[in-house]
Amino acid sequence: MPVNYLQIQGQIQEKCQQARQNQAVYRERLEQAAALLTRYAADLDFLRQRVEDAQRADVSLRCAVPLNERLDTAVSPPNLAQLPLLLAADGSQINPNRHDSVEFAVINTGIFRILPAADLTPGEEAETQLYLLEDINNPAAPLTEEVVALRRDLNERRLLADRAGRETTRPVITLTDGPLELYREPRENQLFQQLFGEYLSVLQKTSQQEAVSAGYVDKPGSDLVIRLLELAADSRLDVKETTRRRPLGGVLDRVIFAGLLAPGQRSAVFVIQSSMAERFAAFDPALQPCFFYLNVGIHPERAWMARVEITRGVAEKPALLEALHAVLLQQCRQMGSKPYPYALHRAHEIALITRLEKEQIETMIARAMRAMGLEVGDKSAKQYHKDNL
Amino acid sequence: MTTTSPLQIGRLLRSTTSGCVIGCRASELNLPVFGGMVRIPLADGTQIYGLIHNIQIDDDGLIRQLITSDNVPPDVLLDNRNNRNVPVEIGVIFIGYAENGSISHLLPPRPPLSLDEIFTCTAQEVISFTGSGRFGYLRHILRAEDLPQAELLAAHIRQAGMFHRAQGDPGWVQSITRELVTLLRDDYDRLMSVLSAVGDVNLP
Repeated sequence: MPVNYLQIQGQIQEKCQQARQNQAVYRERLEQAAALLTRYAADLDFLRQRVEDAQRADVSLRCAVPLNERLDTAVSPPNLAQLPLLLAADGSQINPNRHDSVEFAVINTGIFRILPAADLTPGEEAETQLYLLEDINNPAAPLTEEVVALRRDLNERRLLADRAGRETTRPVITLTDGPLELYREPRENQLFQQLFGEYLSVLQKTSQQEAVSAGYVDKPGSDLVIRLLELAADSRLDVKETTRRRPLGGVLDRVIFAGLLAPGQRSAVFVIQSSMAERFAAFDPALQPCFFYLNVGIHPERAWMARVEITRGVAEKPALLEALHAVLLQQCRQMGSKPYPYALHRAHEIALITRLEKEQIETMIARAMRAMGLEVGDKSAKQYHKDNL
Repeated sequence: MTTTSPLQIGRLLRSTTSGCVIGCRASELNLPVFGGMVRIPLADGTQIYGLIHNIQIDDDGLIRQLITSDNVPPDVLLDNRNNRNVPVEIGVIFIGYAENGSISHLLPPRPPLSLDEIFTCTAQEVISFTGSGRFGYLRHILRAEDLPQAELLAAHIRQAGMFHRAQGDPGWVQSITRELVTLLRDDYDRLMSVLSAVGDVNLP
């Protein structure tokens, strides 16, 4: 039975109509946000104080805090004689599925090493980890999809720290797709604590090796700076009241910065205020997650924004920040009309596990289990029929 | 390219009784040439001979995206040539085989298997194969109407003719041309097309 296009058509019309009516409100909020950014651009101490007060009233507050640059800072692309070595990692996973004949998980991590613009063939490698039988059925630490995702993130960072340690040149930029800050749930169980601790240790190791840890967020949907501006705008209100209000709701940071940053320019660096970011800082103040926006587009009239997450240790070293800024632009510009770091795309290509590969792994496992006299189950009837659709 | 020692140019992707497709890395693409003779050794000692009739370089999403970039730096070029799994496919038409040292211009008894190695033919192998019998292998080329027959024959005659002349047999080119005239005498259009292409062959 196909999708009911008639119903979809009606719903599209209705929702577009609604959005059009809200457009005026959105535009007004956008203008307000831009004006607030200009108004409070230099009031860094006031903004920091405002966040501190709000955070005391609401511990779950998540927003940006200025580090040491004006809010409307626009830093032009650095002109470096030599671009730094770049190591990019991306992970792909097969989650355990009880409907399969054998329940297993795989994490495949692709590493791509490139010395940008040099006449050298880049390096690529993949590391694959299988989780099977006892790994899956451990009641004390069940291998849920969340845990697999957390292990994948940890593996990416662990491999990058390891490979960065082997390099003799400095600086080395290590890059992953997505934020450095972790959002994995549940956050309070023992396994999460253990893996999170390992993650922080790996970030610390990378930092101690004078390598940059950076996370690249393409088309970011965050409103951390907008939230900061809301706190600033409501300065006459009690902070408890302020944390509940979202007068600029719906406006995204990237829209504001798209109007501010020319192609190649980066924004000011901000610190992330959140309960998770605090845990990073508690482990090591140099690991506190920070970020900046970067216009990786090439056309002045069509900005393409990315959010780049870094650690505070990197944010406070201008030479490392410049190296990262330069190499990200160089990488994005290689991808022509769709700017995205070439190295990250290649790491993703290396890591990707196809459906065919999954089936082959399943066959390999079943064959080995049978050879050792272990019982292999059947695929669930539901899965069988789904596979034959 | 045909040398005095055989060079591996790739491995077999798929095959039929009349031809096969070889896969090779883009960085190794300087070895095979259009019209070049190749040899595929089978496990039982049989050697299958073929002619390269097509070299195809496929694209993918990333290549298409890189094209839109202002310039492609050397590291990206090398990455795509040496690392990425962008297939370079080489089409080969079988023209005969050798079994127990005896050359036949019939199709091979069985096709090669996936991942079998493919080598360029040495000058001596080309001379032995093309100098054996009465040019029976030409019918495989003339039967394959979807191939650029005239160009393929011209490329083959140029390559093999060079080796025969170096070996002291300058008459080989005239012999194969006469055979082509005989085989195509009832197909004037095709004959003219083939003779026109062969006429462009300038042996160095």
